[in-house]
Amino acid sequence: MYSPAENAQDYGPQRLVRHPNRSLVPPCQAACPLHMDIREYVDLVAQGRIMEALQVIRNGNPFPSICAYVCTHPCEEDCRRTQVDNPVAIRALKRFAVEFGGDRMILAEAETTRSERVAIVGSGPAGLACAYYLRKLGYAATIFEAHTELGGMLRVGIPRYRLPRQVLDTEVQRLTQMGVEIRTNTRVVSLDLLFELGYKAIFITIGAHQSLKIGIDGEDSLGVIDGATFLREVNLGLKPSLGDRVAVVGGGNVAIDAARTAARLGAKKVIILYRRSRAEMPADPEEVKQAQEEGIGILYLVTPTAIRREAGRLSVTCVKMKLGDPDESGRRRPVVIEGSEFKRKFDTLIAAIGQAPQTPGEFGIRIGKGSTIQVDPVTLTTNRAGVFAGGDAVTGPATVTEALATGRMAASRIDDYLQHRYPVADKVDRETLTGDLLPETIQMIRKIGRIEPAILPLEDRAKDFKPVELVYDWETATNEARRCLRCGMGAEILFQDKCATCLNCLRVCPYHAPYIDDSGTIQIPVEQCQACGICIAECPAKAIIMRKPYDRRHIAEELEHTLKSAAESKYKPFIVGFCCQYGLFGTGALAGLWRSAKAGVWIVPVLCVAKVEADQMLRAFEMGADGVFIAGCGEQCARENTASWVQQRVARVRKTLAQVGLEPERLHAFSPDMTNEDPARELDNFTEKISGLYLASVLMQEVKS
Amino acid sequence: MIVAEQKNLEEIMRMIAPYERVMILGCGTCMTVCNAGGERETSFLHGALRLAQSKSGEGTHSFSEYTVKRQCDYEFLEVLDDKIDDVDTILSLGCGIGVQAIAERFPDTPVLPGVNTAFMGMAKEWGIWDERCAACGECRLEETGGICPITRCTKGILNGPCAGTKNGKCEANTDMDCAWILIYNRLERLQQLEKMRRYYPPRNFLAVARPKRVITKANTEAGENNG
Repeated sequence: MYSPAENAQDYGPQRLVRHPNRSLVPPCQAACPLHMDIREYVDLVAQGRIMEALQVIRNGNPFPSICAYVCTHPCEEDCRRTQVDNPVAIRALKRFAVEFGGDRMILAEAETTRSERVAIVGSGPAGLACAYYLRKLGYAATIFEAHTELGGMLRVGIPRYRLPRQVLDTEVQRLTQMGVEIRTNTRVVSLDLLFELGYKAIFITIGAHQSLKIGIDGEDSLGVIDGATFLREVNLGLKPSLGDRVAVVGGGNVAIDAARTAARLGAKKVIILYRRSRAEMPADPEEVKQAQEEGIGILYLVTPTAIRREAGRLSVTCVKMKLGDPDESGRRRPVVIEGSEFKRKFDTLIAAIGQAPQTPGEFGIRIGKGSTIQVDPVTLTTNRAGVFAGGDAVTGPATVTEALATGRMAASRIDDYLQHRYPVADKVDRETLTGDLLPETIQMIRKIGRIEPAILPLEDRAKDFKPVELVYDWETATNEARRCLRCGMGAEILFQDKCATCLNCLRVCPYHAPYIDDSGTIQIPVEQCQACGICIAECPAKAIIMRKPYDRRHIAEELEHTLKSAAESKYKPFIVGFCCQYGLFGTGALAGLWRSAKAGVWIVPVLCVAKVEADQMLRAFEMGADGVFIAGCGEQCARENTASWVQQRVARVRKTLAQVGLEPERLHAFSPDMTNEDPARELDNFTEKISGLYLASVLMQEVKS
Repeated sequence: MIVAEQKNLEEIMRMIAPYERVMILGCGTCMTVCNAGGERETSFLHGALRLAQSKSGEGTHSFSEYTVKRQCDYEFLEVLDDKIDDVDTILSLGCGIGVQAIAERFPDTPVLPGVNTAFMGMAKEWGIWDERCAACGECRLEETGGICPITRCTKGILNGPCAGTKNGKCEANTDMDCAWILIYNRLERLQQLEKMRRYYPPRNFLAVARPKRVITKANTEAGENNG
């Protein structure tokens, strides 16, 4: 346990306060079924440290490249940036990290350390994730899949333009590398047989592939097909003939997928019939928008009531609806408007109004409401010993990420079962951030609009199944990532006993976050703090810390390390630069500075120059630096007032330099102009000036001696 | 709050010259609030002194630093008992009171003032401090609308304004408000302008005997000595 008393007096350049992560879980992480450390990887992307970002992503997600394409991003729904402008494009940033961080190159390794074998029935995301984590835990795992290829809904449900098959194949190959045994074209008919084959536990994750019926006359006519079957056929390489006019019934993602797939197969007119209005539509709004761009029509508040096959075409009788009172799902119930019937002719009608699991009766497991398998929510056990279940087969149609989370949970529950441990629910050790931003705070936060990733031009889309969404470029990704408000990791008064209630923090905070509570104590509300670090560097009592340590690189630590390396080098003049790791490094400008810097320039990367304290500038001079510069990201900064605080500290240190007989211009703060072709020019000028001062001082010494 | 300003580095270096082991001692109360001698300033001065020493190539000082909660109470100084033998002098960043408290508490160790204690005042805004009270011992703020002419009038006159006021500013410094104009405006606002019509007799400076002492003990005789 960290004790403030132990460290409280350990100041000066040696002061390296190490404390544990006291930050709160941000809302994005709390919303993620996999509880991925989103704030951390977004921050790493903002710094351009893509490979480390990927590492963080991989720690929380077995198949990040799949999620990067198809995740429904509940994190973005809960993103607090929404209160300021729009949420951070988290999924697109993950896609960037996965593509640029070299996820394809990562080899997954696993070793068999346990004797028990586990059978996984079904190879959807839940099954794949379960196999992945079981291998990590040291179990031998076998996946049984009825279709020819692995992936479940990822393979047969999601169209290729949303999830390229190479991505899925890479992940499947990785499982093979890990030693997962794969049995495709194998439909499991009896669980007893699996137990007889020596499997000690079985995980059933057979998905929900059975389409629901609309329940109207003529639904069995030729030309009527259900959404899941249609997508499965297309995804397995068939090319059903649809005719020119296609109707899709339903408003979920499957309906949108079916409609866009039909358009890509050559249907001239595709119309979606949805019985409620746009507001109630469960499909991802972004997907709906893209579908409409591709020319797909949507008729809201319309439902078919009868289908008749006439002269080789379908005559569909529809009725108009209006919205009534909310039902148990909270959405307003559609009510038929009497006498509003109308007829439309179609060649094909695709019914995509929902799916349910279909569990073979021979399995002998208890089935509950909506044909789903009944399990214990904590242990995932069914009524049969050693048989676990998860995924859509248990929950009904849900998201890929939820399935991955269930798969991971199943692996640890199966581990508990096989090792005869009492299963315990996953423990949450940190509090989750709650509370909204105050209007005063929102007013002060710099408004930076969300940058959506580019999408394939319309003319390239409807023809084939190329992925529609494109990946960010380096600069856009870092700029988008910098919009993150870093919820829950801001400043905290760790040493309340040292706080002199001087009100400096309250006066310097650009966001007016600190306040005086009823007892006269200063509080920095974590839900308002934007983690800019100004108060930390200004607190005269040094009582404030970051809830989360400055990354792995504490500035003082990094500085000492740099000074030590520099002392071993003989290059002169010796210049230390504190450089913003965000804008500069992220957009490659820091790399540019590095490349063009003359020998003897040493760079200390900092997460915002506002965190560089005056004593750290002095320390560099003490250790022999001939010049010190501070390079911020200037206009690009996502925080307020950072540059002016740097100027304030520079002015202060310059005064001291003059008093000890050093030229004040040895210390310089600047923001390289990103629009300039050569952002390093200012550094060159500075280096030149310092070289001059250095030579002059050498001459002086020679004269003296 | 007591407001002070850190001394010039040159002066500090001259003071510490005879001593080898120097402890820079910060104060966690008023000197922290006015950014003159809190933990941050203590460590900044520490860095500056080491830098000065390494640049001059002379001087064999060894520095240490420490910040106590408050220098003006013996009880807070107790933590220094086991450190005091390892230092030759204490460079105190406490106000004049703190420096004297240390001198009294550690009679064998020379103590040096690292700040110039300036006045009793308050922050106008971040980094700007204004004097408010001269501790004259006979407060007349009731008569002057809560604005002290003794502190805030350059001349400290009791019957103002003088002829040197112009556009509400003082002749001594045109950036500075005339305290008596402030008083007039405030009394007008309070509808107590009649207080401006009164004549205040000169203060009796003879009555202020120094050093002053305040006794809050009700049940005992006043003590002897003054420290």
